[in-house]
Amino acid sequence: MCGIAGIIRSSGKETTLDALGAMAAVLRHRGPDGYGFYADADAGLAHVRLSIIDVAGGAQPLTNEDGSLIITYNGEVYNYVELAEELRRAGHQFRTRSDTEVLVHAWEEWGPGMFERLNGQFAFALYDRRTHMVVLARDRFGVRPLFYAQPDGDLVFASEAKALFASGDVTPAPDPVGLDEVFTFWSARAPRTVFEGVSQLQPGCWAQWRDGRLTVSRYWAPEYERGTVEPADALEQLDGILNSSVNLRMRADVPVGAYLSGGLDSTVTGALAAAASPFALRSFSVAFSDPALDESLHQRAVARVLETEHAVQSIGAEEIGAAFPGVVRHTETPVIRTAPAPMYLLAKLTRERGIKVVLTGEGSDEVLLGYDLFKEAMVRRFCLRQPDSAWRPRLFDRLYPYLNTGNRGGTFWSQFFLTAGSTDDPLFSHMPRFLLTSRIKEFYTDDRRAALEGTDVLQQLRDGLPADFQRWSGLEQAAYLEVTTLLPGYLLSSQADRVGMAHGVEGRFPFLDHRLFAFASALPGRSRLRGMKEKDILHRWARQKLPDSLPKRTKQPYRAPDVDAFFNASRPPEYRDRLLAPEALEAFGWFDPAAVGGLVRRCLAGRATGFLENQALVGILSTQLWHQEFFTNRQSAAPLPPEGADVLLGSAIHAVHNGDRG
Amino acid sequence: MNEKEVLQRARDFVIENFMYMRKNKTIGDDESLLRTGVISSLGMMEVVGWVEEAFGVIVDPEAITEQNFDTLNGIASFVTSRVSASAA
Repeated sequence: MCGIAGIIRSSGKETTLDALGAMAAVLRHRGPDGYGFYADADAGLAHVRLSIIDVAGGAQPLTNEDGSLIITYNGEVYNYVELAEELRRAGHQFRTRSDTEVLVHAWEEWGPGMFERLNGQFAFALYDRRTHMVVLARDRFGVRPLFYAQPDGDLVFASEAKALFASGDVTPAPDPVGLDEVFTFWSARAPRTVFEGVSQLQPGCWAQWRDGRLTVSRYWAPEYERGTVEPADALEQLDGILNSSVNLRMRADVPVGAYLSGGLDSTVTGALAAAASPFALRSFSVAFSDPALDESLHQRAVARVLETEHAVQSIGAEEIGAAFPGVVRHTETPVIRTAPAPMYLLAKLTRERGIKVVLTGEGSDEVLLGYDLFKEAMVRRFCLRQPDSAWRPRLFDRLYPYLNTGNRGGTFWSQFFLTAGSTDDPLFSHMPRFLLTSRIKEFYTDDRRAALEGTDVLQQLRDGLPADFQRWSGLEQAAYLEVTTLLPGYLLSSQADRVGMAHGVEGRFPFLDHRLFAFASALPGRSRLRGMKEKDILHRWARQKLPDSLPKRTKQPYRAPDVDAFFNASRPPEYRDRLLAPEALEAFGWFDPAAVGGLVRRCLAGRATGFLENQALVGILSTQLWHQEFFTNRQSAAPLPPEGADVLLGSAIHAVHNGDRG
Repeated sequence: MNEKEVLQRARDFVIENFMYMRKNKTIGDDESLLRTGVISSLGMMEVVGWVEEAFGVIVDPEAITEQNFDTLNGIASFVTSRVSASAA
């Protein structure tokens, strides 16, 4: 896994090695093992490398045989061995064993037809210097990031937005609508970002840039074609796909480890990884000092049965507060939960223990319908069919037992769920979450609210839904929304790629193999969600295929301390009072000082315990940190010098360095 | 303490703790606190706790109903009846 960057000109401006070096420098955490550049008169590419496959021969940028195609690539194409074989048979010559070179030949052989053949997680740029054309591409689910901007008709792209700003061609400015999306969906929705003029390539898309024009095309989108009957051999099919998916993701020239959360999904990936690993598997997990959030007993139980070499990152309020500014620097967006912080610290521990690739259970809840949100939507729909029924809303008590603590209230609480959105609304399943999250906007300043008058990000989401959406069942609609909003925008980004790559740790996600998605989405709904039993087919598979001694429990939703991280720590982080002070709030202009003052007062009194105030505090504080980091206090890094590069290609570099390196 | 005074204290409590970020919004004495989104389910537990603490009444689980707790008038009426019942 790596970091990529590039500048392709149509404006006639010069691309300097200094600019490429500056872009590479701010991405160095993604690729601490090496770096390289390509530069000619009107194009430059940069690459920072985390060596995983073909450690000796996989340096980048890399070219085809005649040097006309140059690639800079971040990611893994797991089926590269099979693709290379196919390409060799078609006459292509390979100089390395890397998956990078496979992509170059795949483009030559298949053009845009290559993308659907790739099984992996990737973002790359392929530059054709004969035609001065660039291809950008991103994997199906959006595991790997790819940002771009088009200042003055040029194309500037990179794995992270901070590299665009380091190029000197793109000036950082906030996009208020992007922030409004964060405070609705938990993240901006691609192609939008929280930076004005900066876009992200949508998952499942590729783009062609030629003569200053960018054309984006889609090669994959989630589709649902459910059957009416579960195939008799469904469990065997699932077994085959899961094993193949994990085995492909164990391909690496360095040891592969695993994260264990204590729940079923990471137990499955951990068990299959342990079986496929030639060494004792190294596993890692997070333990919280707050017993209400901690699952370490269950994690240890899984590690014991799998006989992994297990390491634990203990997290208390202080650790989250201390890590949070670094987390925001890497996520590059405000967040409404501190949950990325423990993952950031876990990646740090993982790297310190010498592991740079981990398998995790991410994606299972989206593909096999594990989230409470799916059940909640089903129950809401069921209740609204008979609005006068007294007993139907009682199902919410089963779904959220804490809402009915000691029988305090019963159906009374269910009103919130039953008034959040009509069944005619295509966003029905997600309206409780979207409405609850949107309440952070009550803290906006009057000016901010006025500037966003007429902006309706919910309607924009509705307007962009695919034509088939109406044909899908309520569950499938909910799954689609989850796979295209929260998964790429927040979970795979702020809680995975960005916090993992902050420490040079690559996550791999067997449940996000597109073959598993195709298999699962062709099953009848009840194979995945049977009554109130989530991921039914995976539970059946686990009972049949995994040892009896292995715990197969449904874990509680992953949460980290939010308000408590900043107000219940033995020592509050220094930035808390400074950034929440009226002067800082007024200076940045996002949130109303009086409203935030009310929130701080309740936090100090220990009364801010509900979802609204927890998410508001984290959202406001992370926005202040984000604003400070990217707009008022931007740090610069010294450019990576060409002298230290593993690869130097292109006429501009040869001119500078007398062609002494290839 | 009469019902009017309890109503005023309940209104102050709700505004100070649940509406501090909505400076231009008001809540009617008969408006639903839950449906208008002023108070969430967890927030309702806080209101119940406040009623117990501020007025010294015990709130049985079965008393937490829409009628007693979903409006400011409902809260005022419930508290007044309980206070006067315990004083009698």
